[in-house]
Amino acid sequence: MDILSLYTAPKNTKYMVVDVPDVGLLNSLGLRAGTKVTVQNRYALGGPVLLRVEDAYSVAIGKDIAKQIGVTAC
Amino acid sequence: MLNTNSARMGIAGSAYPNDGRHSDRREPSKTKILLMGNPNVGKSIFFTELTGIHAMSSNYAGTTVTFMEGRFKLGEKEYTLVDVPGTYSLDPTSEAETVATEFVKSGAAAIICVLDASNLERNLRLALELQQYNIPIVYALNLWDIAERHGIEINAKLLEQELGAPVVPTVAVKKQGLNELLKQLENMLSNTKSADHACENANCTSCPFNRFGKHGNDVFTSAKEISRRVSRKTKSNLKFIDKLGASMVKPFPGIPIALLVMALAIAAVVFGGRGLRAGFLLPLVQGLNINGVYYGIVPLFQWIFTAIIPEGMLLNILIGEFGIFVISFEWILALIFPYVLLFYVVFTFLEDTGYLPRISVLFDNIMRKLGVQGGSLIHTIMGYGCAVPAIIGSRAATSRKERIVIAVAICFAIPCISQTGALISLFGEFAWWMLPAIFGFSILLFILVTLIAGKFVKGKVDPLIIEVPNLLMPNGKAFGRKLATRMRHFLKDAEKPMLIAIIIAAVLAESGLLAIIATHAEPLVSGWLGLPSEAVTALILGIVRREMSVAPLLALELTTLQAFVGGVVSLMYIPCISVFAILAKEFKAKIAIIISLGTIASALFVGGLINHIGVFFGG
Repeated sequence: MDILSLYTAPKNTKYMVVDVPDVGLLNSLGLRAGTKVTVQNRYALGGPVLLRVEDAYSVAIGKDIAKQIGVTAC
Repeated sequence: MLNTNSARMGIAGSAYPNDGRHSDRREPSKTKILLMGNPNVGKSIFFTELTGIHAMSSNYAGTTVTFMEGRFKLGEKEYTLVDVPGTYSLDPTSEAETVATEFVKSGAAAIICVLDASNLERNLRLALELQQYNIPIVYALNLWDIAERHGIEINAKLLEQELGAPVVPTVAVKKQGLNELLKQLENMLSNTKSADHACENANCTSCPFNRFGKHGNDVFTSAKEISRRVSRKTKSNLKFIDKLGASMVKPFPGIPIALLVMALAIAAVVFGGRGLRAGFLLPLVQGLNINGVYYGIVPLFQWIFTAIIPEGMLLNILIGEFGIFVISFEWILALIFPYVLLFYVVFTFLEDTGYLPRISVLFDNIMRKLGVQGGSLIHTIMGYGCAVPAIIGSRAATSRKERIVIAVAICFAIPCISQTGALISLFGEFAWWMLPAIFGFSILLFILVTLIAGKFVKGKVDPLIIEVPNLLMPNGKAFGRKLATRMRHFLKDAEKPMLIAIIIAAVLAESGLLAIIATHAEPLVSGWLGLPSEAVTALILGIVRREMSVAPLLALELTTLQAFVGGVVSLMYIPCISVFAILAKEFKAKIAIIISLGTIASALFVGGLINHIGVFFGG
């Protein structure tokens, strides 16, 4: 399976998180290996990505962390 | 049935690690009920509805580092309801979560755990974690209406069985389900004696309190399984507000909408405040002329004092031009109160709708280029109201560097609403472009200071991670209470420094001391800044209160250039005594002193520079 960086992964496709940095808040918000996410919006000039997590809630993640999150299509 | 006798607010967070515990010592755990849940689930509305005192918390992620407690009656017994900071889990990964965990560990009679029905799985994780602490829990399945609109149907009875505890569907903003929740809570509390007993030496898996304990599945797996069993997808039926909420966070049309919202917010504060002042407060304070007699607050005091006090210095100090009873009403009630009120009406509304995190997301790219992140934009906007809650609110920032950089930028570049009110009045007598010009200058200054402070403060800034909540229409009662609390806090906090400043002003002006100081300060005030020497009053009083660095200028005959220089000096000048105190408390006295000296020096330097450039070009 190809692992993409969440920061560049195309919009409106469902992904599964496979690799995530050890950040407490990400874990609390439910972003861990196995979580299903969709990229909803992307923001120019180094802005964050807005994710829909498990089809239930939206979380925005800054570029510098989003780059470190690996996902695969599912 | 419900009845509030008292409430108090404590501040929780790492700067006051003991406050949470103080509260425990004050309140025996047998009468304490904890109100818990994820951020943005409407917890504060439960608190308002149950106790009648509003919690100063907000519906955006992670900023509720203050907590409130209020009393309420359940049947015959009285309990204390504690509004615990919203938290996603009990892993102490942030200050708010540490505080929440401490509350649970210190015990309580019961927990009301508020769950977001539209987001059950994630909320269930906290629900399950809480069950490991042997405290009886009743669950409120809130935002039931939003879940329905999103096409999520939850079998509450089945969830009740899964959790082994009462589950009540609620729509707190519309007061639906609250009575049922209280009934369940009362039932549970009257039955807990035996339950408590049974659990004391329990490692038994049959005990509901231990079902998801250390022996079972981890909470992630359990939450997923339970959520799958109790919920069903139906057809979603999104309303306009749901679609608007989604559009508002898209780059287009989100950014144009954000600019429009900000323009409307500024217009509401500036024009609303001006109208309130001119149409109501100014006549009330200065008096209306009816058949040659003035009826108003100041004329009333003038009438009383001239009747009982002989002419002389004392009478002047009370009701002279700078008299205590003249200035306190003219400056505080007529000059700044209308703007403060309008600012908090607008800010509280934006906050309660859940709009503010959308601004953080839309402009994170710009903030990131400045070396901070979008989350700080909320604290900066708060700073346009008052720097004190903005600096306290910045505790939600995950890195210390971010907090210090934003605090410094707010102190140097962001005028508070009291000061803005005074500036509106000052500039109102000159040209329309002066107000936009000073705000443009404030934004440039903010950018510059943030960049410079970022270079000097050690450490690193964490990237943005923020939940974007559903957009919702605020609950009128909760909005009103929050606004009332904010105004009360403003008046209470401002009271002492205002009185001090007013007394200093009255004594300086009436004793002749001012003339002596003015002569000595002449080279600076007149030579360098180009202002009349009496303007030194503004520099003295401005240390105590921000609007006082503008208000004395209103009584002087100034040119447009002088008014603008006065405005710039005031903008950049030392924030005020309350801000100094909060900086010293939250960071270090050293930081407070550096900021104070830095602001005074740069304000005088830039003010003089503008004066000399203006004089050079103006001829």
